[in-house]
Amino acid sequence: MFGRTQRDEIPPGTLDMLILKTLTQGGPMHGFEIADSILQTSDEVLQVEEGSLYPALQRMLLKGWIKGEWGRTAENRRARYYQLTRAGREQLEQELARYQRVSSAIARILQPA
Amino acid sequence: MSPGEIWRRLAFLLGRSGKAAEMDEEIRLHVELREQRLRDEQGLAPEEAALAARRQFGSGMRVRENSRNVWGWGWLDDLLQDLRYAGRLIRANPVFSAVVVLTLALGIGPNTAIFSVMNTLVLRGLPVPEPDRLVFLRTSRQPDSTNNTGNYGSSFSYSVYEQLRGQGEAFSDLMAFVPLALNTAPVRYGDTPEEASASMVSGNFFSGLGVQPVCGRLLSLDDEQRRAPVVVLSHGYWTRRFGQDCGILGETLHVKGIPFTITGVAARGFIGVESARATDLWIPLQDRQDLNAWGLRREKTYIHSPEWWCLMMIGRLAPGVSEEAALGKLQPAYVNAAYAHLGQPKPGEEVPHLAFAATRGIPGLRDAYEQPLQLLLAMVGLVLVIACGNVALLLIARNTARQREFGVRLAVGGGRMRMLRQLLTESAVLVGAGTGLGWLFAMVATNALRAWSGLELSLAPDDRVLLFTLAVSVLTALIFGLAPLRGAVRVPLGIALKTSGATAHQDRQRTWGRKAVIGLEVALCLLLLVSAGLLVRTLHNLEQIPLGIRTEGLLVFGVSPQHLQSHAETVRFYESLSSRLRELPGIESVTLMENRIGSGWSSNTNVFVDGKNPQEDRRSMVRWNSVGPDYFRTLGTPLLYGRDIRDSDAREAPKVAVVNETFAKQYLAGTNPLDHNIALSGRANAPQFRIVGVAVDSKYTGVREEAAPMAYFSYKQMEHISAMHVELQTAGDPESFLPVVQRVVREFSPDLPLEQARTQQQEFSANLSQGRLIARLAFFLACSRWCWSRPAFTGRWPTW
Repeated sequence: MFGRTQRDEIPPGTLDMLILKTLTQGGPMHGFEIADSILQTSDEVLQVEEGSLYPALQRMLLKGWIKGEWGRTAENRRARYYQLTRAGREQLEQELARYQRVSSAIARILQPA
Repeated sequence: MSPGEIWRRLAFLLGRSGKAAEMDEEIRLHVELREQRLRDEQGLAPEEAALAARRQFGSGMRVRENSRNVWGWGWLDDLLQDLRYAGRLIRANPVFSAVVVLTLALGIGPNTAIFSVMNTLVLRGLPVPEPDRLVFLRTSRQPDSTNNTGNYGSSFSYSVYEQLRGQGEAFSDLMAFVPLALNTAPVRYGDTPEEASASMVSGNFFSGLGVQPVCGRLLSLDDEQRRAPVVVLSHGYWTRRFGQDCGILGETLHVKGIPFTITGVAARGFIGVESARATDLWIPLQDRQDLNAWGLRREKTYIHSPEWWCLMMIGRLAPGVSEEAALGKLQPAYVNAAYAHLGQPKPGEEVPHLAFAATRGIPGLRDAYEQPLQLLLAMVGLVLVIACGNVALLLIARNTARQREFGVRLAVGGGRMRMLRQLLTESAVLVGAGTGLGWLFAMVATNALRAWSGLELSLAPDDRVLLFTLAVSVLTALIFGLAPLRGAVRVPLGIALKTSGATAHQDRQRTWGRKAVIGLEVALCLLLLVSAGLLVRTLHNLEQIPLGIRTEGLLVFGVSPQHLQSHAETVRFYESLSSRLRELPGIESVTLMENRIGSGWSSNTNVFVDGKNPQEDRRSMVRWNSVGPDYFRTLGTPLLYGRDIRDSDAREAPKVAVVNETFAKQYLAGTNPLDHNIALSGRANAPQFRIVGVAVDSKYTGVREEAAPMAYFSYKQMEHISAMHVELQTAGDPESFLPVVQRVVREFSPDLPLEQARTQQQEFSANLSQGRLIARLAFFLACSRWCWSRPAFTGRWPTW
């Protein structure tokens, strides 16, 4: 509980997008690695709540945006590695586009007059 | 949902348990990695790290559940788990569960049984398309110069039928039907004579109703026109007698000794349109003396007798025509038709009015049973309410004992909704079992009722009843399932987790609620007992009514000899049969009667004393019977004056009659009854019968009959002799004489069965069957309810 920077929640509706984007960086990752990656890449601002990570991963499996395969970690432990599918890539693009639209709109409103 | 998604969902469904194990493994790994990270980065000791990791992860159960629920099958797993849990609970408390299930079965079963009886007798339409469009025709009265066979108000003449059937505006089809005998007709297939319920119908009977054949073809208008010797069997008769063999088409069936060709079998479930008794076979309307309406012998057949109203009619309303409109169109034509061959109505004579009666239920029985059944249904509804109350109390008590369990479950994070769902599942399982058992009970009960009441129809539950039962059970489940839940769920966690402290926490509200329920139940039980008791008392009184007849040892059966050509031949037949029977050891006396007493049938006509109406202001009716010699001696009815009918009262002898007390009081008051002549018609040349005896009043149609003027004539002195009933006075048990009597009758004619052979006592009892049925059922219900509920009232159910 010491030496931590201010951590914020992940805004609602963006978790899927972040997970998908994370999976484009590098090869297949398992759940812990995905959460870790998001934390690190956001300079420890965004912490994925563990309770929502796995349900989100299951949802994306259901929708067919990612696929999972069992493999071994470096320490030879069984882990499930997730990868993006083609449908997942399309979904990511859509979500990115939407996010851009929304944030530029918000930015325009917040700009000093 | 994309096809891929559907596919993946299904795949998940099939591999659920494997997926759950995988999820567990993933989560375990995640927590271990977190633990390791905490050790490495923050230098925590292993136990601290482990704890911190788990805390950070949160409720593993929640994560698992949420992940699983994504796939949409969560409810299924929950349901299965609930069912397993409910099963465990039930097995752990077998007595409690048995009590609940039985209580429910005793509540739901009778409801279903009564309702199914009500359904058959009152509610159910004919098993044909659009049964609501079918109506029976009724008339307010008959023209004065006509006579009646059948139910007055339901019978019409053939000429009326002929005229009305051409009226296409009101009815798309008008059908006529009339039985071939007062009860059953003798039929023969091969060598064995039997009796069957047979009717003559118009050619459009089956097509108008919309009945389909199962084999062969049904009757047509052509058959009627040609008076074809063809017969259609009912499905039930075909099953019972011919084992559902379609090969009997084309075979010969002898109906009243006349050969008919079997041409078809009617659809399953169609039992005709006549009250109570199911019809076994139908032939087209015939025009011959030996196949006359109701099996009666008259001068002319019903076809040529416009004054003989004996045919019944049923019509299918034309599409779009309302009952009022149809009646409006038909009424003028009807009046015309009624008087067509009878001459003008007398001055002041009331014109007959046509009316319709619904074809729901069983006509005839419907009116008699509708109210008692409604009463019974109300009582049984009370029983169900009481049962629900009992079960609710039991469950409340139980759930109070389970508060700790609920507390623990809530504490470990089980959702409240989840728990509610599980409790509801428990209730549902118990209710389901109770309903199933109740349904079985209802099936058995309706079978027993059917045998008891002598109705030949299946009273078994059908779709409507099934729906009713399901509705009742769902309601029950909701009522007593939800009631205890309130208490279960509003549990303050802290208190529940303590041990004996929990029981001290009793809402005042809840205790009051319990007391109210118990009080209500006691009141309802008492109400039930009292009304059942009253019904039984009434029945007892009915059974004690003096009949005026000594029924011990009396055996009665019908016999319809065929091929008798003349009056003399018929008399010889009955005379020799009677004397042969008299010779048998143990038979003390033999007599005959046209209408069987106690069966409800009777002949009623105007009577004239010494050529004129004995009452100035209104018509004088007499209920009469055509009987054999020694009638009153055989029946044990004492004579007040004069003598019995004798063997010597034959055709050539002076015509005689015996009247009853009421007749003498009403029509012969103040004079010597033996000085008068009576006649059944006011015509100048009508046969006059001299009164030779006055008998004590006795019951004719049935136990509930009110005293009426009656007259008895010697059958040999009547114009026409119909099929008679033979009454035997036997020493000892009447039924033991059946085989030897049967043998004697067979000697006379191999074609003749003993029709409805039973004791006279049974004949009168059958009368009472309606009341008895209901009274007994009510009493049984009340007693069982009382016995069953007593423990609940005294609070002495063992607590588990």
